[in-house]
Amino acid sequence: MKEHFKYAIVGLVFGAVITGIGFGDYDELFKMFTLVDARLWLTFAFSVILTMIILFLLRKRIPRQDKLIQPGTLPGSMLFGFGWAICGACPAIVFVHLGQGSVAAISTIAGIVFGVWLQRKLHAKLFRWDTGTCGV
Amino acid sequence: MSYWPWWIGAIALSAVSLFYFLLIGRLLGVSGSWAKVVFWREQSKIESENKKFTDDSPEEINNTLLAETLAEFGEDAVAELQGMDTDTDSQPVSKTKETSWISHLVFLVSMFIGSLVYSLATGHFNLRYDLSAVHSQIFGSTTEVWLALFFGGAMVGFGTQMAGGCTSGHGLSGCARLLPASLLSTGLFVGSAVSISLLMKAFIS
Repeated sequence: MKEHFKYAIVGLVFGAVITGIGFGDYDELFKMFTLVDARLWLTFAFSVILTMIILFLLRKRIPRQDKLIQPGTLPGSMLFGFGWAICGACPAIVFVHLGQGSVAAISTIAGIVFGVWLQRKLHAKLFRWDTGTCGV
Repeated sequence: MSYWPWWIGAIALSAVSLFYFLLIGRLLGVSGSWAKVVFWREQSKIESENKKFTDDSPEEINNTLLAETLAEFGEDAVAELQGMDTDTDSQPVSKTKETSWISHLVFLVSMFIGSLVYSLATGHFNLRYDLSAVHSQIFGSTTEVWLALFFGGAMVGFGTQMAGGCTSGHGLSGCARLLPASLLSTGLFVGSAVSISLLMKAFIS
């Protein structure tokens, strides 16, 4: 129960922050991807730099989480990029779409569920390489 | 609609990353949570097996291992094992701590609630059946928009699992640690998103 509560608190804050930044607004994202507006680029780049400083200071406490260059890195990343531009959502932003009132985000959620399910099924049968860990 | 200036957004996003690490003890990553929730049946089974394992006493586990060794390799192997003078006898059995899939579901649903509360409080909430004016201009009617969102979402789900991370896992946490896989992945997904968006812009203009 305590663990659920921790995840709930972080989720609430994360959802509010992404909304406040404007990552959940497709029009803002489109301006970013078509190189019309630098605001979201600057937000992302500087948050990476700040996180880099924070993680450097906490480096002794950081658990090992493997991120491997593996055969799926190139096609997977490209596929994600294409999908992100089409639906305006990464796995976190889709909940912001819904929270902002876009009922159509239900279709994106259904798509993500299908994509995750299909990849895991195909991966278990055909590929089987280690894709690394992601925050779990 | 007005959004935060870039520097406030950057500070807030990195603060979330720090907050997640301090509270959860792991680095921020959302695609992993999706995998846990989508495969919740398998995850429940793993969690109950892990619980059964960690609930057993070290003596019970040791006896089970000895019984299996006896069955598989015979008495000589057991005698050899028992005769070994190792420090590991006195060490506790390592207990694996797996985050419950329910916690991951709570995390995902909380993002929706956090966004909803913020949107309602600041007047950003706008109930609609498409995504945005520009998106509808690109994809057309509501049905076409919903189809585009489904296929786009499927690409996001498939792609992030295949690449082993998304904007938070690779983009924020991975790039901040200068991991080669994350730098490559982020460059690729951002580059792909930019190229397809420029194509879409050319299509509507």
